[in-house]
Amino acid sequence: MARSLNPRVLAGRIAVASVFLGGWEAGARFGWLDPFFFSRPSAVVARVWLQLSQGTVWPHLGVTVVEAALSFLLGSVAGIAAGFVLGRSRLLGDIFGPYIQIANSLPRVVLAPIFLLWFGLGIWSKVALGVTVVFFIVFFNTLKGVREVNPVLLDNARMLGASERQLVRHVLLPSALAWIFSSLEISVGMSIIAAVVGEYLGSTQGIGYLIAQAEGVFDTTGVFAGMVFLAAFVLIVAAAVGRVERRLLHWRPRPAEASNV
Amino acid sequence: MPAALQFSSVSKRYDSGYEAIERISFTVAARRFVSIVGPSGCGKSTVLNLAAGLLSASAGEVESFGEPLAGLNRRAAYLFQQDALLPWKSVLENAQLGLELRGMAHDAAHDWLRRVGLQAFATRYPHELSGGMRKRVALAQCLAVQPDLLLMDEPFSALDIHTRLRMEQELLDWVGAAGTTVLFITHDLEEAIALSDEVLVLSAGPRSHLVGRYEIDLPRPRPLLDLKTEPRFAEIYKSIWHDLRGEVVKALGGDHQGGPAHG
Repeated sequence: MARSLNPRVLAGRIAVASVFLGGWEAGARFGWLDPFFFSRPSAVVARVWLQLSQGTVWPHLGVTVVEAALSFLLGSVAGIAAGFVLGRSRLLGDIFGPYIQIANSLPRVVLAPIFLLWFGLGIWSKVALGVTVVFFIVFFNTLKGVREVNPVLLDNARMLGASERQLVRHVLLPSALAWIFSSLEISVGMSIIAAVVGEYLGSTQGIGYLIAQAEGVFDTTGVFAGMVFLAAFVLIVAAAVGRVERRLLHWRPRPAEASNV
Repeated sequence: MPAALQFSSVSKRYDSGYEAIERISFTVAARRFVSIVGPSGCGKSTVLNLAAGLLSASAGEVESFGEPLAGLNRRAAYLFQQDALLPWKSVLENAQLGLELRGMAHDAAHDWLRRVGLQAFATRYPHELSGGMRKRVALAQCLAVQPDLLLMDEPFSALDIHTRLRMEQELLDWVGAAGTTVLFITHDLEEAIALSDEVLVLSAGPRSHLVGRYEIDLPRPRPLLDLKTEPRFAEIYKSIWHDLRGEVVKALGGDHQGGPAHG
């Protein structure tokens, strides 16, 4: 990242991490926390290092990444496409509107067992679950972005000779992009959560499977180690999405005081 | 040559039931500069949007260059009152937009950017420009497609008085040289007289109609800086204001002691 971090912010962040991890470690060592239920940071770090150095975690991480990536890609492409179609056509929007609301109100977790029956224990039941999560987030944001396009920009482009396709390319898509990106950032995290939840509920591979296995034998250290891998993965992907966003939305005026959250 | 615009007892009633204009008829001959003035809310923009084909008439007929208007008016360019530049395109890309959409060569955009004095800003984005500069880019965007008819909706109302005077003068030079027909909307009578060959006065809304039509016989080319102090300008102003004042008072909803409406 090109932005330099305010040293006070950096110092504050390090302080928060030190207090939290230090307190946890001390609590476990001095007997305020039961290490059986809470483990301790040093043990988690050791476990992470062990899994990395032995290479046992990579196939599982790979499976989770593939599931999350597929559900993110399929869900966001479908969500953007549906958002554009329903955003541009009042008729279709009015016809499908209530059904989409109904579908969106379903808790995704109850779909997971059904997808397991339909698509099996492999990656596709997790991808299906992830798509149902990502699709709606991206769809509703795209719909809003398309409907809130400044009508003067549309009229101006139409007067200059734009066809419907050219309107999408030159006006609607760039205009909705800010909305779409804010949903993509959320979707990255959600697609990973969906993959892990799916794995947790039934699979033979993946970080969610590792966590479920560790939980099955009351191995709290293993559970936390799985969380560390997930968190690292989410941070990397979110940073990548942020980079792409800044590149595509480079025309926007820079906020005077960018917050670093 | 057929008229650039022909309104034949055109009425417009919106879906909300609001009747904006009623039985309006007028003609804009080709190569003429015609202004419409009227109090705010009198349906000036409705008339312009009908001429552009962005709205369709509820009754009556709109013709442009001899053909009844169905859908957008392909021979017209529209300079909107609001900012209509695309914020994600550079100044040059905005100036080229019409040419690109129509699949025409982009050279004319460079040329117009130079003429509006913004070639040095070609790679900037609209938010980096002042309001006057953005208006210039919008004008370059419209003129680059070489429209036969230029529709303008209070284009200069948001500009400061000096920028405005300069842009009015430049507009007269450019459309005069290109022979473009102009239909110009303003609430500023001075501006309308200074620029136009003909001024139409609309009544207060709803159900606005035409209350007057004035030929402006000031000679061209017109040096706008000195025009407003000429006795003939004052005479024309007085006779039109006499009609317009009544409508402004009606629009205000009472018998106010009104002075001339400025900017």
